[in-house]
Amino acid sequence: MTFPAFRKMSLARREALAGYAFIVPWIIGFLIFTIGPMLASLYFSFTKFNIIDPPQWIGLANYERVFSGIWDAIRTGDSRQFGDPLFWKSLQVTIYYASIALPLNLAFSFFLAVLLNQKVRAINVWRTIYFLPSIIAGVAVTILWVRILNPRVGVLNPFLKDVLGIQNPPGWLSDPEWAVPALVIMSLWSVGGSMIVYLAGLQGVPTDLYDAAKVDGANAWQRFWNVTFPMMTPVIFYNLVLGMISTFQYFTQVYVATSNSIGGLGSPQHSTLFYNVYLYQNAFRYFDMGYASTLAWILFIIVLSLTALIFRSSDTWVYYEGQLRGRG
Amino acid sequence: MKNKLFKIFALFVLASVILSACGGGIAATQAPAEKQKVVIFVGFGTGTDPDQVTAQEALAKKFNDSHENIEMEFLIVPNEEARERFLAMVSGDNAPQLVGPHGTSTIANFKEYWEDITPYIQKDNYDMSDFYGPATTINKYPDLDAGLPLGLYPSFLFYNKDAFDAAGLDYPTHDYEDASWNINALKDMAMQLTLDANDNTPNDADFDATSIKQWGYGDTWTDMRGQLAMFGAPDQGRPTSDDYKTATFNAPERVFGFQWLHDGIWKDHFIPDANGQAAIDATGADPFGSGQVAVWYSHTWFMSEGLNELPFAYDLAPLFFNQDGERIARIHADLFTMPKDAKNKDAAWEVMKWLVAPEQIVDVCKIYGCLPARKSTEEAYLNYLKERYPNIDHAVIFKAIDYLDSPHHEGWVPEWGKVNDSLNNVLSILYGEPEADVQAVMDQGNEDLQKILDEYWASH
Repeated sequence: MTFPAFRKMSLARREALAGYAFIVPWIIGFLIFTIGPMLASLYFSFTKFNIIDPPQWIGLANYERVFSGIWDAIRTGDSRQFGDPLFWKSLQVTIYYASIALPLNLAFSFFLAVLLNQKVRAINVWRTIYFLPSIIAGVAVTILWVRILNPRVGVLNPFLKDVLGIQNPPGWLSDPEWAVPALVIMSLWSVGGSMIVYLAGLQGVPTDLYDAAKVDGANAWQRFWNVTFPMMTPVIFYNLVLGMISTFQYFTQVYVATSNSIGGLGSPQHSTLFYNVYLYQNAFRYFDMGYASTLAWILFIIVLSLTALIFRSSDTWVYYEGQLRGRG
Repeated sequence: MKNKLFKIFALFVLASVILSACGGGIAATQAPAEKQKVVIFVGFGTGTDPDQVTAQEALAKKFNDSHENIEMEFLIVPNEEARERFLAMVSGDNAPQLVGPHGTSTIANFKEYWEDITPYIQKDNYDMSDFYGPATTINKYPDLDAGLPLGLYPSFLFYNKDAFDAAGLDYPTHDYEDASWNINALKDMAMQLTLDANDNTPNDADFDATSIKQWGYGDTWTDMRGQLAMFGAPDQGRPTSDDYKTATFNAPERVFGFQWLHDGIWKDHFIPDANGQAAIDATGADPFGSGQVAVWYSHTWFMSEGLNELPFAYDLAPLFFNQDGERIARIHADLFTMPKDAKNKDAAWEVMKWLVAPEQIVDVCKIYGCLPARKSTEEAYLNYLKERYPNIDHAVIFKAIDYLDSPHHEGWVPEWGKVNDSLNNVLSILYGEPEADVQAVMDQGNEDLQKILDEYWASH
């Protein structure tokens, strides 16, 4: 059965309409379950809202709380001058983690992908072995690593002490100086996902480029640096954007690793008070949904800005074959 | 074809009308009045173990079989999800009718969410005289009586008799009047019970603090307020003045307590540090059950989860007197609360009364491991304890109620969650920093607390 008006349309128009019809359920879901809550949280960010009482409009007070005292803190060098010192602490912890974990994850997964792209025996078995950890649930991985990193009964410190000769290995998650590095090490366990994306990218690099480089006398390093790496920059770019977003949303591992420890969530001494942990505390422990919404929107703006920055910088370092763009 | 379809449709409509008419008649004469549902949200405290779930289902059946107009149903939520699930239910206008059993901390943290039951008590002229005094006061505030008392969880020491025998030590006294059982006696005893991998104690020159296999004493399943309550600051478990406007966290008694604990962890080594506790956690057992803590300070709720088929003999002893000769033994008190936004509140009140009625309260407390809050049931519960735990001194349990902390260590303060998180940050210094300057740490903690109070009062 077809409507006469529909039959009179051009094929292209009919196809377009059919396409829209197919995506309507998704659009409705997106509007109701994503855009709707986003707009609601934007409204809540200008309110005082504890869930049981109706939201009370307070204008920019929540934002003022975040940004007040900045100049005093900078002038005196005393972080307690901030209107909300824990906001800045959580931002600092998150940026610290991101600045180590993100490049390390990108490099390590790329390195593994290059290794797993070699022509060696049983390569599929190796690929499976290296990918497997990434499909284990984050909670299970965290519990496993909490035990591995335990300074008294874990297996890592005896290895550092007895095999590598490090006399005073770190206290890892119970040491404020080492808690974030411990989480970085933990994150390397799950690089399988980005590794597979790299691997797919590596297998798409045209072999004639390598052949031409060999003819030109390029050695292995030169072939990697002048052929593989440029051809892989779109994949690196993709993993960078996704990795940056996920590091700024880091939560589950910290929640599992620290919520039952002495000092509680974000311990020891706020050294693992990640941005999302602080946001969670404000929402579900302090019942300050208005302020939590403010934090969520500030995070959104930070991530959006960084993503825009990465996109803008991509002109200078991402190579798109067949596209005349920047220096590419 | 169309005609045939029309006839079938007409027949269907006719049959539906006749059937619904008959159905309506039957319903009008036979269907009972709709039951009011009372959902009990379990998850903030105890009640989620499989055995407890089964027992709660039996309890609900017992209630439902004897009540025509109310239907009781337990909603079991994992502890780690309880907070979010409860808030989601409240915000979705679907608040449970009762929440519990839960203790002072949850009641204080969510204080604005609970219905004051004072009008219900007055309306029914409900007799409160049978409840233990502390049970009626711990969760009561000037503007909120959170619920009818269900159970108490007094605190005392659990000690490993085998560890004492191995060390050649006398067991701690069970006599609450024995003044020699004080903080120094505990320390001496605990140091002799602490053993490294070579069975040296901290009193031995060769003692290796990095290889401790058994600590003498532990009180680590509570927060900063709880750990310092026993040292007897004027506000005991509450780190503020009476009007909640001035921080008193660095009161001299608390500074003393913090220093005593810090020395116990880092200098005398009879209390496990953060790494030691993480190592015990890694065994999958609780500190006492792991056999790695010889004297363990906890509450009656620990009995149901911790005293099961232990591979060593154990008994109970009173908490020791503090540095000023005072005994302040923490107490927990559980009850069921009614959210403000719940529907069917009258039915919820009936269920709340039924759960703590003399006929039920012992059975309910058996599920949750609490000591029934009614004095009249003391003997019945004592008989149960004698049967379940035949080899312990049961008198220690009941007597501990007389030494409760007041103000309570989990009681309400402004911005309860923030205050606790702030003080627990100090707790992580206690267990993680061997070189901490105790006075400076306490002063800083007090300053942070004062800031939270000032911000609260600026907007209230």
